Amino acid sequence: MLGLLAGNPMYEITERPIDLGRVVAAVGDPEAGAVATFLGTTRRSNAGRSVTKLEYEAHVSMARREMRRLASRARRRWPIRKVAMVHRVGVVPLGEVSVAIAVSAPHRAEAFEACHWLIDRLKEVVPIWKKEHYRGGTVWIGAQSGGPPGARQDA
Amino acid sequence: MARVRLRYFATLREQLGEGDERTVRAGTTVGAVWERVLSDRPALRRLRVRFAVNETYVDCDRVLQDGDELAVFPPVSGGC
Repeated sequence: MLGLLAGNPMYEITERPIDLGRVVAAVGDPEAGAVATFLGTTRRSNAGRSVTKLEYEAHVSMARREMRRLASRARRRWPIRKVAMVHRVGVVPLGEVSVAIAVSAPHRAEAFEACHWLIDRLKEVVPIWKKEHYRGGTVWIGAQSGGPPGARQDA
Repeated sequence: MARVRLRYFATLREQLGEGDERTVRAGTTVGAVWERVLSDRPALRRLRVRFAVNETYVDCDRVLQDGDELAVFPPVSGGC
């Protein structure tokens, strides 16, 4: 059983597989009646390319700071209790979790909304970059002029 | 004069290295430093970049202070 009574907010960049139990436990709060989670997993194909592996790089200290800032903004917007955000860097094999977010709140509506908002903002402002390795080459997502869908620059 | 630490990430790191330290005149902006880098590497001009000073996003008219870290990177693409 997960202890869900005394979590500590978590904003991490890790080279190891993400431990979902720790992420959920981090948002444990006696005033919470709901915990919403989001997991992003590495996908086998993108823009018609057959992806063989994905690699992520971060400005680690800035990424953690941006995650904390996003959590503060979310807490001002919704009556949520705690937030945990973890992103994996280095090579992430296909099908594994690259990002995990958990939000605890008194009720489910704000937990879901804040969690959705946090993953959208993470993809816009947290300094992490994805490099796709596919048959025949590699590409940094977001670096191309114009940018592909999903690599929006608006913040 | 101001001593500034440049850091590059993602495709910029692969093309320019991890970064370097350089001394700039007082009043030098982020944009001016990046222009100097581009003057040696014009092919990078086609990339969209963002700047952060001391881990906070800034515009290119931000004036650099002694001890600043200037990070230059492409639009972010984390997540899934």
